[in-house]
Amino acid sequence: MKTTRLALLALSAATAAFVTGCASNNAKYVDSQGPNTIVSLNSINVQDWNTAADKLVSSLLASGVLDRAPELPSIMAISRIRNNTQQQVDTDSLTKKIRIALNQTGKVVTTTTMGPDGKVEDAMAADAGAMGAFMAGQKQVTKLPYYTLSGKLLEDRVKAGTTRQVTYTFQLSLTTVKDGLALWEGEEQITKQGERSSVGW
Amino acid sequence: MKIILPVLVLAALGLTGCATSVNTVQRANAQATPSYVADQRVITDSTLARKLATVSVNEAKVSGNLLKIQVTLENLSSRPQAFTYKFDWIADDGMELSGPTGGWKQIQLEGREVRAISSIATNPRAVDFRLKVREN
Repeated sequence: MKTTRLALLALSAATAAFVTGCASNNAKYVDSQGPNTIVSLNSINVQDWNTAADKLVSSLLASGVLDRAPELPSIMAISRIRNNTQQQVDTDSLTKKIRIALNQTGKVVTTTTMGPDGKVEDAMAADAGAMGAFMAGQKQVTKLPYYTLSGKLLEDRVKAGTTRQVTYTFQLSLTTVKDGLALWEGEEQITKQGERSSVGW
Repeated sequence: MKIILPVLVLAALGLTGCATSVNTVQRANAQATPSYVADQRVITDSTLARKLATVSVNEAKVSGNLLKIQVTLENLSSRPQAFTYKFDWIADDGMELSGPTGGWKQIQLEGREVRAISSIATNPRAVDFRLKVREN
């Protein structure tokens, strides 16, 4: 009887050790692009930005519109990306990934000395360019963008019982400056459902 | 014994539950002429291999010089299954290329659904690829 109890105790301990494994609640590093990041229902997670940017870049490249520009790489300026979600987000989380990906293709370069409402990304580059032209006694020649990239982030929340669902919509338009026509438009939706946030997908 | 039988029936119903698979209709003689890729498969998870089949792999060039790979997958189960996948791109010198959007993505397949996943290499130097798939 005693032996059976001991065996059961040992088995329980072994099972508990197997189930918990080496898991601990201490902070650890996880791959930012890996499947073990946190999935939450109240914010746009790192994997959501990544997926949206990937799908939108693929859509833009597959459309072939970038190859119709008169010269490559063509210049793109980042216009306003409206955030109509309930979250305080930095839209660079989306646009920077898109800029890097398009830059890698060799088809597009982004101007950092032009921005919506005159707010430039790199004020020093703009000032240095103007100063350099002034010192050389020349009129500054600013290369105008061929494209602008604008967009909007939307959020839709619904609830059924204790299950919550959130859909984030990422909309982008690529407009040619010379005629103001949206040459390409893309939309990507990401929907998450559950009762609470979780670690891993 | 009288109680066990209904319990077993209920348990079986509970297990099969909402399992629904997808019926499809398509052109009898496909008009598309895909450029198929001869692929090499490495199976480390035999359970996953029994649930998910790789039907075909084909390639194309988009935007002039960018490699696009499309892999058609089939959920062999009659239940919906979620998987995560990742494309890695390899340059002509064998070096792996990194990109800002190249992380793991999720795909949810309905029962017996066939669906293609694809990716475009943003670097024109990409000549080869590696697709990784794991079960959720």
